Amino acid sequence: MKKNDIILIAVILVMAIAVLLGMRIWQKSSTDGDAVAVVTIDGNVYGQYPLSEDITEKIELPDGSYNILSISDSYASVIEASCPDQICVHHNHIKYQGETIVCLPNKLVVEIHGGEDNGIDGSTY
Amino acid sequence: MKIKKYLSVIVPLFLFIALITGIVIYRSVSEQGQQIRYTATFLDVFDTRTEIVGFAKNKDEFAKKAQLIKDELIRYNQLYDIYNDYPGINNIKTINDNAGIKPVKVDPEIISLIEFSIDTYYETDGAVNIALGSVLSLWHKERMIGMDDPDRAKLPDYDELKKAACHTNINDIVIDKDNSTVYLSDPDMSLDVGSTGKGYAVQRVLEYAREKGLDNILLSLGGNISCIGTRIDGTCFRLGIQNPDMDSPEQYVEMVDINDGECVVSSGDYQRYYYVDGVRYCHIIDPETLYPADGFASVSIITDDSGLADSYSTALYTMTYEEGLEFVSKRDNVEAMWIMHDGTKKYSEGFIRKYVKK
Repeated sequence: MKKNDIILIAVILVMAIAVLLGMRIWQKSSTDGDAVAVVTIDGNVYGQYPLSEDITEKIELPDGSYNILSISDSYASVIEASCPDQICVHHNHIKYQGETIVCLPNKLVVEIHGGEDNGIDGSTY
Repeated sequence: MKIKKYLSVIVPLFLFIALITGIVIYRSVSEQGQQIRYTATFLDVFDTRTEIVGFAKNKDEFAKKAQLIKDELIRYNQLYDIYNDYPGINNIKTINDNAGIKPVKVDPEIISLIEFSIDTYYETDGAVNIALGSVLSLWHKERMIGMDDPDRAKLPDYDELKKAACHTNINDIVIDKDNSTVYLSDPDMSLDVGSTGKGYAVQRVLEYAREKGLDNILLSLGGNISCIGTRIDGTCFRLGIQNPDMDSPEQYVEMVDINDGECVVSSGDYQRYYYVDGVRYCHIIDPETLYPADGFASVSIITDDSGLADSYSTALYTMTYEEGLEFVSKRDNVEAMWIMHDGTKKYSEGFIRKYVKK
């Protein structure tokens, strides 16, 4: 085997590894993306709010009931609501992919899409 | 010279084999990658949030699986409902409405829930009693008023509670299996299946889903969580146990990995409660005191039957820690975790070893 053969093999190997790594990174970036809080009311998307921007948004329903969504320090939380049980307001703030805050009386769900995954599939409450 | 000659054959051969192996591995990895994780959330059954986690090649395929589960949940929700009527369906409310009047013909799924609940009553020494409806409804009414308008929050009248408690005899449930009827012989009694219905429904729905060939499914019905199989990659589903301290930055106090067919459920005072004169009263009523239990911030159960998990966690919430520990240690495949009001955690013997992952 000549020296050139070895160089050729080495080049092919390096290229193969580069392609594989590239695909890995591309796959990751296409699924993860930046974290967004997606608000749905009764299953219909109301709005999407990136966790990177601090905002306070009053989400009003036609019947006058409301939830106030706050995003600060990359966490989403409901800081005020018209519902009687206040479960959404008491809920811990969320930031990881798939985490949700639910307001049952207002049929409102805040769910994180994209961003970091905490490896948890569900939780008791 | 000879080696060199062989090399010219071996090296390309080696490269060829490496290439083939590479393609095979890549294909199997990417095929697995095609199974995407999906979550379906809906809010219209059992007055709570339902989440289904599953894996499928595309959205439509997952939607079919989720719909199969949802349809079953809707069916059980209608059968086990104590507040609403549904056209053409006799449910638990129909049984209550006909207490002392006449036997009601019902679906066998209602009879099996009631039989299961009666077994649970004896197993928990009456801590879980579906005949407690008359007492629970007094608390439910005040809690709804108090949550809606804290200024009007008050406790139910104790004499009324005592009076209602006279109509909670589990033996007054008359089941006629041949005719598929249920009759409450005490006109003032009513059934409340809040502590068993949801868990039992989850168990039955998962059994159905399994028969239909579904695998790698996690079903959460209001925090009562069960699974079929594992995640698609073969690892266990991982669940967080809610921190009862809702102001804490830590949402979970513990993470647990559950195996095929296992179920986790927590009972606590941190979600459904109301305040009267600054004191918090939760929704779990101790049948002995007729008042809300307040021994713990939460109790979590892991076992292999969702119906049992639901009723055990309610039962343990009304017991002392020592009683609960004894209850759990007498049973196979049941583990528990208690969180005290000061945040300290206590565990049954195998809880950490079997389930807790750091």
